[in-house]
Amino acid sequence: MDLNEVIRECLAGSQSAWETLVNTFAKRIFNVAYQFSGSRQEAEDKTQEVFLKLYGALPRYDAGKNFQAWLLTLAKNHLIDEYRRTKWEKTQRDEFDERVLAQTAGADPEQDLVEKETKVLVWEGLDRLSADMRMVIILRDLQGKSYEEVAEILDLPLGTVKSRVNRARLQLALVLKDARGGTS
Amino acid sequence: MTCERIEELLSAYLEGELAGPDKAAVAAHLAACPGCAELAGLMRDALGAMAGFPEGAPSPGLMAALYAIPERKAARWRRVRAIREFLARPALQPVYAAFTVLLIAVTFVLYHPEAQGLRKAIDVQFHKGVGTVEKLYASAGGLKGEIRAVSADVIKSFKNLDLLKGGEEKKE
Repeated sequence: MDLNEVIRECLAGSQSAWETLVNTFAKRIFNVAYQFSGSRQEAEDKTQEVFLKLYGALPRYDAGKNFQAWLLTLAKNHLIDEYRRTKWEKTQRDEFDERVLAQTAGADPEQDLVEKETKVLVWEGLDRLSADMRMVIILRDLQGKSYEEVAEILDLPLGTVKSRVNRARLQLALVLKDARGGTS
Repeated sequence: MTCERIEELLSAYLEGELAGPDKAAVAAHLAACPGCAELAGLMRDALGAMAGFPEGAPSPGLMAALYAIPERKAARWRRVRAIREFLARPALQPVYAAFTVLLIAVTFVLYHPEAQGLRKAIDVQFHKGVGTVEKLYASAGGLKGEIRAVSADVIKSFKNLDLLKGGEEKKE
């Protein structure tokens, strides 16, 4: 079904259209919230809040715009506002998902160990980035959005986005450097 | 190129976005500068790590909560409407009228140009009232003592009645 049609039906009060919208976007919003907050519980709460906002804001959606970018902008604004309001950066990030660590099992155990350690360090290093830097790196490197899409979601010039992504990656590289004692 | 300039171009270089002289200049710098080469290696590692990050699925509980949002909103709207209808009942209009009069009176007392005198008068009346109550209370205390004395006398007189003594004499 066409997304605009789904939204029209949602606005008309259709429960099944709303469930279609939830099924289509819940996973993406949940993952952005999880990667941003580092906590599964926090991510569940924030996903609910974002969808509550979405339900209220749906009548204001301009059908000519990219819905996913519009929704991600809504999510980004909510996550960053809440982060600044509640200072949840003080809380510890969840342990890195062990199922993912298990996925990396390959032929070279030593190389696997280094890769696992790098993933854990980068996951924990996300907490050391500012809210804006963290969001830009999540959208670009974790959600795989193009620079143009990130610029649309964040409402920033393309050059600013590229520069922020580069600086965020440099910060993560320095986190790895610190953790490895200055040797690569 | 300086190391600072290389840092600015590192993402573009690793993503293959640089071309021509810029690409060659970065490659030449990385070959000659161990610090920048190390940084490029670390950034490559970080990018590789993020490419394999988890994509979790929302829990069934979360999905159920998301599906229920329209119903929750509708229930909340029904509650708001019920409160609004309750407050708009004609039966409550005399209460609002009384409250308005009270509010006007309070405003008058607080903000009238001669409010200070008025408040003083109220204060005097209030203290008079308190004094009267205190006097009444003190009188009531004295009265209580008198009643106690009278009742003690009555009991004493009652015990001395001949009628009761007569009963004892009969036994003897």
